[in-house]
Amino acid sequence: MASSFSIALMPRVLLRPKAVFSQLAKDSPSATGVFFGFALWLGILPPVFAYIGAMNFGWRLGVVEPLFFPWYITLGISTAYFGALSFGFLSAAFIARWMASTYRADVSLGAHFALITVVGAPLTMGSVMHLYPHVFLNIVVLVPALIWSMYLLYTGLPVVLKTDTERGMLMASAIIGYLLVALVTLLGITVMLWSYGIGPRIGI
Amino acid sequence: MSATTISSHPTHYEDRIVTAFTMCSIIWAVLGMAAGVYVAAELVWPALNFEQPWLSFGRLRTVHTNVVIFGFGVSALMGTSIYSVQRTCHVRLFAPELAWFVFWGWQIVLILGGLSLLAGYNAGKEYAELEWPFDIAITVVWVCYAVIFFGTIAKRKIAPIYVSNWFYGAFIIVIAMVHVVNSLALPVSLTKSYSLFAGAQDALVQWWYGHNAVGFLLTGGFLGMMYYFLPKQAERPIWSYRLSVVAFWAFTYSYIWAGPHHLLYNSIPEWVQSLAMAMSLILLAPSWATMINGIMTVSGAWKKLRTDPALKFIVLSLAFYGLATFEGPMMSIKTVNVFSHFTEWTIGHVHSGALGWNALIVFGTYYFLVPRLMGQPLHSRAMANVHFWLALAGVMLYVLAMWGAGISQGLLWLSLDDFGEVRYSFIEVMEAMAPYYLLRLVGGLLFFTGAVLMAVNLFMTMFNGQTVRVTPPIAAKSGGH
Amino acid sequence: MNLLALHKRLEKHTGLLIFGILFVASIGGLVQILPSLFQESLSTPIAGLKPYSPLELVGRDIYIRESCSVCHSQQVRPLLAEVKRYGPYSRVGEFVYDRPFLWGSKRTGPDLHRIGGKYTDVWHRLHMLNPRAVVPTSIMPAYPWLQSRSADADGDIEQKLRALRWLGHPYSDADIETATEALDGKTELDALIAYLQMLGKSAGGQQ
Repeated sequence: MASSFSIALMPRVLLRPKAVFSQLAKDSPSATGVFFGFALWLGILPPVFAYIGAMNFGWRLGVVEPLFFPWYITLGISTAYFGALSFGFLSAAFIARWMASTYRADVSLGAHFALITVVGAPLTMGSVMHLYPHVFLNIVVLVPALIWSMYLLYTGLPVVLKTDTERGMLMASAIIGYLLVALVTLLGITVMLWSYGIGPRIGI
Repeated sequence: MSATTISSHPTHYEDRIVTAFTMCSIIWAVLGMAAGVYVAAELVWPALNFEQPWLSFGRLRTVHTNVVIFGFGVSALMGTSIYSVQRTCHVRLFAPELAWFVFWGWQIVLILGGLSLLAGYNAGKEYAELEWPFDIAITVVWVCYAVIFFGTIAKRKIAPIYVSNWFYGAFIIVIAMVHVVNSLALPVSLTKSYSLFAGAQDALVQWWYGHNAVGFLLTGGFLGMMYYFLPKQAERPIWSYRLSVVAFWAFTYSYIWAGPHHLLYNSIPEWVQSLAMAMSLILLAPSWATMINGIMTVSGAWKKLRTDPALKFIVLSLAFYGLATFEGPMMSIKTVNVFSHFTEWTIGHVHSGALGWNALIVFGTYYFLVPRLMGQPLHSRAMANVHFWLALAGVMLYVLAMWGAGISQGLLWLSLDDFGEVRYSFIEVMEAMAPYYLLRLVGGLLFFTGAVLMAVNLFMTMFNGQTVRVTPPIAAKSGGH
Repeated sequence: MNLLALHKRLEKHTGLLIFGILFVASIGGLVQILPSLFQESLSTPIAGLKPYSPLELVGRDIYIRESCSVCHSQQVRPLLAEVKRYGPYSRVGEFVYDRPFLWGSKRTGPDLHRIGGKYTDVWHRLHMLNPRAVVPTSIMPAYPWLQSRSADADGDIEQKLRALRWLGHPYSDADIETATEALDGKTELDALIAYLQMLGKSAGGQQ
């Protein structure tokens, strides 16, 4: 199975999304090829940036001093971050594939993996902001990146998964719905872990 | 033929009231969101109140909530319910003159009420700030609304009452019930009264009201809108009738109990808190059942999206409905609520529902409805598409800024240092919020700009147009609409 | 008759549908809320709690008028960090004279339930007239108009106390007759500060 999936697609999708999506549509990437060849490594970048940033600059939450943690705590948090990203990536791709037949879309897992990887490009590249973990700067960079990713999802899904624009719109909305729920669940799980003592010291 | 004479022509639907409600709803949307943007700006630059009482955050925020809920939201519900009840009953509106009284009565309550809030006449209870003369006026108008709505259903030409009417009906009945009880007060003067309830008892009554205002106005009423307009736009029936039945009754039963989840860890009995938490979690099921019904209905109608910008809004609104109705129960879990209560997370939750679900479904409904009402094509599909992206970007920025702010606040307020004392002063945490408030302002501005674009687009569509006369079909012996 | 069949009957009859909705929607309120209205413990004042004096009542009504509750809560939760930050957690018996309750839903500014006595009157005066004079990064609005209005500007303090007495607050005839006098020479700012300075003192010393 020929695959022209390469790392160069990531910056190129920001400038020429249509060309990249058409190219992916012609491809038959293998799921393992995309995941172990690209997605996994791209997914490691944000946690690594976060680790470096946190160890050098500390978490700047806007309150007086930056928060510094011992290396093993920071490593633990970065690992959990990587876990969350992997779960997000895999669950989004599998759920998209589960929905695909409703929307007459391509059901090959490789195509879904490729789509999610490429659509995530703005976020992956934006995560370089983690090198300076000031919360405001990260939000200013990553929220527009998120919106850009959502736009790429809407424009790319019908092309890459070979379905109509309109069916693609419905499917993309359903995926966004899932991602929003997953994100808020992550918030909920995080605060629940904090309540149970896994995390910062709090007085409840 | 003149639009100014009250027509005595008995055989067409009364739709001029729908046009009137729609126009006012759009104006209230723009005004209410402008107030919202202004108060968001005041949190960044407090000097924006120019030290005028009527511009200060407290009073203007109250105007914002009342105008968007009761101006934008209720006008939309009244207008769309009148449009849909006639068509689902195949009969002209019952007592159209009374309906005009409802229209004018409601708009006058809003205008005078809004001014009274700016003047500081405030009963002090959230979403029930209007003082007792307005409470009475609202009740009178509401009873008339119930009469025209149920009166139309009573004279229907089709035997079964369609599902959208159950939801609109529940909205009308439950809001009446909670409004009347929660407004009970002893007047002292024309502009001041004291609540019949005090302290913890008042808190319980208030949030029985407040949560059911969310449940039956912002959720139930708008589900009525969804159950009518979505199948109409999709040109397909609702995916599952049985699911809608189960979901409706489970919803109507469960929602009422959830009120005290606004009072977790507050000084109310433990059993009430636990019951509220449990019922809030149970509530997730009927809420999502309805969402699934909507999504499955529209997924068969994908072709419509090509020609219909309206459907995009409704589809996205269902995704946010799913988010908000998941987040609500999640925040009702005491372990989560410990962090979220009193923080910006609550504000984020409110707006993911109010902007993502309520506003978006009204926008979609209006892009569908207004061209039909006026017999003209939508003035600009390009503007509607731009509006879609502005709305999406605005909501995402707003919600994510508030999630960031809320989690930070919750954590920082509760953080202890190595000696077991509170680690951060209140001021330190408050200062940390500044960048989030700025981002929220940008998000709100984007959303507001989109709404203004819509207002221009729809008013241009209405300009020079006239409400179309539509005749109900001849009464059929069997059901169907 | 199974439930779906019952629904189909309601679906064909306007009156039954209205009744069905009202019935189903009433259950929650009747079981969960109504009992609290008869529960003594929710309306028994904590030991030593007095109803609001005329000046404090005017101050409270100004607090409501200016919607202070939208930024300030009055409910210290029984959480370690909150008790450390604010003081004793809020008890139900402290709120029995609060019409309406002012627990709030949001803390843009700090909780105020234990603010009584924490700052001097002078501090409050400066803070209300210009918050940034005492807290440079504050985003609270300024309330300069409070010092130019008389506390008795509405002239209805006696009616207010009578109304509250009718609702069960223990005001004596003397309290009501001397009410107007008690406001003599006071501004709205004086009233608001009087209210703030007594907030939460009812649980003082206990825990």
